[in-house]
Amino acid sequence: MSVSRRTLVQGAAALPFLASPGWAQRSAGIIRYGLSTFPPNLQPWVSTGAAAGTVKLLTHRSLVAFDSKGELRGELATSWSIDEKGAWVFKLRNNAVFHNGDPVTADDVKWSIEQIAGEKSTAYMRQQFQNISAVEIVDPQTIRLVTKEPLATIPTWFANYNTFIISRKSTAAEPIGCGPFRISAQERGTSIELTPFDKFYKPGFPKLKGVRFVVYADDNLRQAALMSGDVDIIEYVPWQSMNAVESDPRLRLDAVEGPFMCVLFNASKPPFNDPRVRRAVAHAVKRDDIVKAAFFGRGKALEGVPITQGTPWYDDALAHGWNYDPARAKALLAEAGFANGIQATMLATAQYGMHKDTAEVVQQYLAAVGIQCELKLPDWPTRVNMGGRGQYDLAIHGLASDSNDPDGLTAYLDTSLSANYVRSFGLQAPRTKAAMDRGRAEFDLAKRVEIYKEMQRAALEEVPMAGLAWRQQGFGMDRSVKGFSNLPGALTTSSGGTLEETWFG
Amino acid sequence: MTRWLFRRILTSLALAWIVATIVFMTLHLVPGDPAELLLSTGGAATDPAAVAELREKLGLERPLLDQYLSFHSGLTRGDLGNSLVDDYPVASEIALRLPRTLELILAGTALSVVFGMPAGAYAALHRGGRFDRIASATAAFLLAVPVFVLGTLLVLLLAQTLRLMPAGGYTPIAQNPAQHFTLLALPAIAIAKGLAAIVFRMTRASVLDAISRDFVRTARAKGLSPARVLVRHVLRNALTPVLTVLGLQMGTLLGGTVLVEYVFNWPGLSTPLLRAVEARDYPMVVGIVLTISGLFLLINLIMDILYAALDPRVRAS
Repeated sequence: MSVSRRTLVQGAAALPFLASPGWAQRSAGIIRYGLSTFPPNLQPWVSTGAAAGTVKLLTHRSLVAFDSKGELRGELATSWSIDEKGAWVFKLRNNAVFHNGDPVTADDVKWSIEQIAGEKSTAYMRQQFQNISAVEIVDPQTIRLVTKEPLATIPTWFANYNTFIISRKSTAAEPIGCGPFRISAQERGTSIELTPFDKFYKPGFPKLKGVRFVVYADDNLRQAALMSGDVDIIEYVPWQSMNAVESDPRLRLDAVEGPFMCVLFNASKPPFNDPRVRRAVAHAVKRDDIVKAAFFGRGKALEGVPITQGTPWYDDALAHGWNYDPARAKALLAEAGFANGIQATMLATAQYGMHKDTAEVVQQYLAAVGIQCELKLPDWPTRVNMGGRGQYDLAIHGLASDSNDPDGLTAYLDTSLSANYVRSFGLQAPRTKAAMDRGRAEFDLAKRVEIYKEMQRAALEEVPMAGLAWRQQGFGMDRSVKGFSNLPGALTTSSGGTLEETWFG
Repeated sequence: MTRWLFRRILTSLALAWIVATIVFMTLHLVPGDPAELLLSTGGAATDPAAVAELREKLGLERPLLDQYLSFHSGLTRGDLGNSLVDDYPVASEIALRLPRTLELILAGTALSVVFGMPAGAYAALHRGGRFDRIASATAAFLLAVPVFVLGTLLVLLLAQTLRLMPAGGYTPIAQNPAQHFTLLALPAIAIAKGLAAIVFRMTRASVLDAISRDFVRTARAKGLSPARVLVRHVLRNALTPVLTVLGLQMGTLLGGTVLVEYVFNWPGLSTPLLRAVEARDYPMVVGIVLTISGLFLLINLIMDILYAALDPRVRAS
């Protein structure tokens, strides 16, 4: 039989109909999750990024966690309150079991907290937890945390994905958790498989038969894997692909504005030691162009301190305190004695497109008011190194708060902390810092709201950093995936925890 | 011959040692602290006390010479050390991933030889003909298209639009042979596309060169059949430079499959190398680079031996 050109064309036309519905077939009840990067490691208290956090939230549990609305809910603790002496008291549930079969006791909780705060600790919460002066076991179901000074935000700290309670019998190499899943297999750099823990303390959970994490480091490939049905859900949908995911009838996009971009200053020397010059920078940039250029419109202008809209601390007027006003920027520069312009270096990184694109837009707008910036775009490790040593005048950075409570911004706004690439270098913003301290120590919500509004007013003048843009963080998933939620605002990176409630419908 | 081989092996080992030392030193000199980078993954604020503690634990506070010497003593015991990031043995990582990269390179090379060599020889024998013109233009095009463009287009067409194959990934051959080779196909094609063009051009040029030589005319004149002239005299002489290029290219591919592995999610050796450089995971980078350079030298050695087999003059000297 000879093959004519026509049969070839006909054959090719039939190809799409022969296509299988996704290659890596879904086995019943096991969700396939496209991770953006492989977790560097899964140590329960060490901060190793959001991918690690996603896995850890499923294998470990803490006293509390964020629910799908971003509110605190009890996990190992059933309730918590402040006693008359200002100490936090947590009541523990009595049916929680570690993966080795041992019950979760107050002793394990005490041990975990003390390890995190320990002298040899490399834990993310080490510094914060060193404010806890005593961990008292009142009875086997009650634990009392005495703090050096009043601390309103302790429960929120326990919801962080680097603050888990593990068994006293854990070793450094093998932490024993009590989460809804346990790791059944993994290949370094490629995939991690989880199976449900049958003695998990919430009856009926987890609903899934398993989770299979597969790493797709390339943004486009991760999206292609979702579109072709190789995976059921992906994190970090690339901004340019959000439209494609939204318009695919099989898929659903769940995106929130969580992380943000900002400008950091080296205030250890002129000209950025002058708050007027910093305010000039804050007023000089038209934020919408960053949202368009770096995030394909998938974000929002940020013209104030990064406080999530919809939280009690948000104030519309304060949120636009650094509105785009080039005339004002020029006036501020003239007032500070820089009417003839400024030459500066601007540090960002070429490793991440969003940093580079943001820097280029900011560079253009600053030039328009007379601040000429030379861009420095090294690789990320060098960028971190230079940032921590203040080897820049201006730096572009992307950040996410620890929580939607303004206290989660401490690492970025508390200028009394040691030099770090995540905050401005050598900058003093004493009024902002003082307000942050007061807010942390205040238990009354109404008073806290007032304190944090005051903090925002102070920051607008002192400019410990200048907000630029919120960026969307999106999950793309098959419509059959139910019960998974993208947590609001800064909590988006903790969304993986909702896989506990996820099922296929 | 044995002495020659012995000398060559010794030279290769010395070169590998020099490469390892240079990599070790430069890596420690470029900015970036593994402890700070690990603890700041995802943009987290780092606690300087925790960073100092981790540096101490990882042995990064020791003098550089001290670290270099212990790297050396490990090397003599065949121990490449453990990752700074998760304490995973470097040798295990290489043992798992090197075969996959080699498989990819071999598949790509095989494809390029199967297509490039006959096409090159045919084009040379019919120089200026329609096949020659089309094949030469195709080769130029293939060389010009970047791997990531071709790769992304292939994924877009075959995985995303037609859904004929998965969007990259890897399945062990023992688990599902059919899927293993399906997944191998795209990255192998992506590797072969540039290499086939090079092989085509080299073969074409050296066959053209060989057919105008005196010994070919002599062979024809003494009445040998055209096929025998082609195989015994033209190709045998023409293939030496092709082999040289092929050997060099295969060596380059060992470290150069990064883009292909990235675009197709092929879990070979390039991805951990890239990740290790980003994380300044010194032992992992040094271990992988040492392996790659060792293999590069090995390929060169094999090529030298192959020349000797192809060309009696090399053997004699």
